[in-house]
Amino acid sequence: MAHLCRSGTAAAGLGRRRPLTAPAKAGALVRLVLDRLGEDVRDLWTDEDTVEVQIDGARNVEVLRRLRDDQELGFFFLADAAAVDYGPGVRFEVVYHLYSEKHPAWLRVRAHVSREDPHLPTITGLWEGAMFHEREMYDMMGIVFDGNRDLRRIYMSPNYRSFPQRRDFVLPDDAADSSAAGVNPLERPETWDLRRFSETLAPGTGAPAEGPVAAAGLALEAGQTAADKGRPR
Amino acid sequence: MTAVDPETRIPDPLDLERLEEDRLRVAAGLAPARQRIGEYAGFEQVGLPDRPPQTEREEQLFTLEEGEMLVNMGPQHPSTHGVMRLLVKVRSEVVTDLDVVLGYLHRGIEKLCENATYTTVLTYVDPMDYMSAMHNEHAPALAFEKLYGIEAPMRAQYIRALVVELNRVFSHGLMMGFLALDMGGLTPILYGFINRDEIVDMLSAISGQRMLFNFFRVGGVNFDVNDEFISRLGSWRSRALATVEDNERILTQNEIFTARTKGLGVLSAKDAISLGVSGPNLRASGVALDIRKAHPYPPYEQLEFDVITQESGDTYARYLQRVAEIKQSIHLIDQIVDRMPHGPVQAQVPGIIRPRPGRAYAAVESPRGLYSVYAISDGGPNPYRFRMRDPSFITLQVMPKLMPGHLIADTMAIMASLDPIMGGVDK
Repeated sequence: MAHLCRSGTAAAGLGRRRPLTAPAKAGALVRLVLDRLGEDVRDLWTDEDTVEVQIDGARNVEVLRRLRDDQELGFFFLADAAAVDYGPGVRFEVVYHLYSEKHPAWLRVRAHVSREDPHLPTITGLWEGAMFHEREMYDMMGIVFDGNRDLRRIYMSPNYRSFPQRRDFVLPDDAADSSAAGVNPLERPETWDLRRFSETLAPGTGAPAEGPVAAAGLALEAGQTAADKGRPR
Repeated sequence: MTAVDPETRIPDPLDLERLEEDRLRVAAGLAPARQRIGEYAGFEQVGLPDRPPQTEREEQLFTLEEGEMLVNMGPQHPSTHGVMRLLVKVRSEVVTDLDVVLGYLHRGIEKLCENATYTTVLTYVDPMDYMSAMHNEHAPALAFEKLYGIEAPMRAQYIRALVVELNRVFSHGLMMGFLALDMGGLTPILYGFINRDEIVDMLSAISGQRMLFNFFRVGGVNFDVNDEFISRLGSWRSRALATVEDNERILTQNEIFTARTKGLGVLSAKDAISLGVSGPNLRASGVALDIRKAHPYPPYEQLEFDVITQESGDTYARYLQRVAEIKQSIHLIDQIVDRMPHGPVQAQVPGIIRPRPGRAYAAVESPRGLYSVYAISDGGPNPYRFRMRDPSFITLQVMPKLMPGHLIADTMAIMASLDPIMGGVDK
């Protein structure tokens, strides 16, 4: 217990700054991945404990199967599968994190998905546990996994009509900044009727409402990019 | 009970009684037992929802044979550990199929975090898995430090490990109690809560909060240890092992408990890996995967501990795994206290953190398994994408695998042994 007493004056150099471009402790893994995946590797990037590979979305099953079944690679455990939205007009990305006991690094596989036609083959044939990941990605982002035999909403109700984690889904807090502050119809997106949206937002004036709420409504209707307000705010 | 194939854990199609029933029905000129949904099957279909099935799996779930019905357990069932609904297909007292319906506690924490600053995110993740709030803060803190290119001082890392292991002790202790409670034993949960209140008071002394601690910061922790924390830790530690053994003595050798848990809900190592099960549930099936060893984050590479595993993978093994991990955590706490260095507990970071554009992944071993955070920065004051992988969410997938063939009362025991926390499942 002796060392548990309160420390004295704080040292001058607080915290150790770590190098931003630390060499990956898995140089061997980089060479191995490049050797085994060959043409499938479109881009490769390393972190201090992560090796990141970018692949073609349509070939995710083949690539992941090779990573899982290869004796030397041995990435047998799917740690995480998540979707990232890079904004309207750009793309989706499905990111898999894999674990292998043979390598001291995480392997991150990024698969690009078109935002206009978000389809990707399912990997539930490789890991059954990808089912909930894919259902969550479908529910939150609206990415459709072809071949998944149980692709339905997991958090939201079956009749929900939006994909809440897309970048063009605006939170009620953001809507409160707009001319429609106080109305907040965005709190119940399943009730949105986009044609009547502008009327209810600006009652009496007859003019369509402006600002992010109206922009969100339009963008959801036509798939436009107006709702992404740009960052940082 | 219906015979169960140990490989697939579905009712054995070679079950003689069932075949005999079908044979008699055909001989009597009745319809065969299996009928499509909506077709008249000669019997009343109980519990079908008033909407068509959406997927292949749902269609399979909604197709009832004679004698089967669908029953909702929850969302406010005392044994579902929160607001979760189990859609159970039962034949008399035996579960034949099961579906997990989630979302009753969904708050969209990931979306909220994408609209909060990096420091605020650490408060939002607390109520996720409310039994292990310290672990919830640990992974984002590590990920943000990696994004920002900073490392917490060593003393802060040790304090983190200390509070995290304390959190693990009370979480596992409560799991033992809930497991017994779901099988009708009231006493262990009371002992579990005594132990838990001691630890929670201790953590409250160091962080200022009882349950949602808000203790971690990017680049360190909020407070150094104080006198009250030390005195509470000392008095708790002097009794800790004895308390665990007291709790254990009620259950481990208890004849009713062992009779009801041994061989129940066996999860094979292959299935566990395929289904993404992690943490104590995976190790109880014999897979030695512990993130503290596999991808050690400081200070675990400086501490001495082994990865504990069990062999059988049944409910009893999952219980024993928790007991062993409590004892291991107490030994880890001893080591941490002995080796804790002097120094600052917080690195110098600005009030609003703006990391460079980049991506970071950090994983910790929470009491329920692999809890990881994937954070993307675009250079702004809040994360562009904040993704949390909650272990109990993924673990729930094994339930349709484990439950069929067991009695309804046993399904609650299996579920308690998996130890899901709905706050984390629904995010």
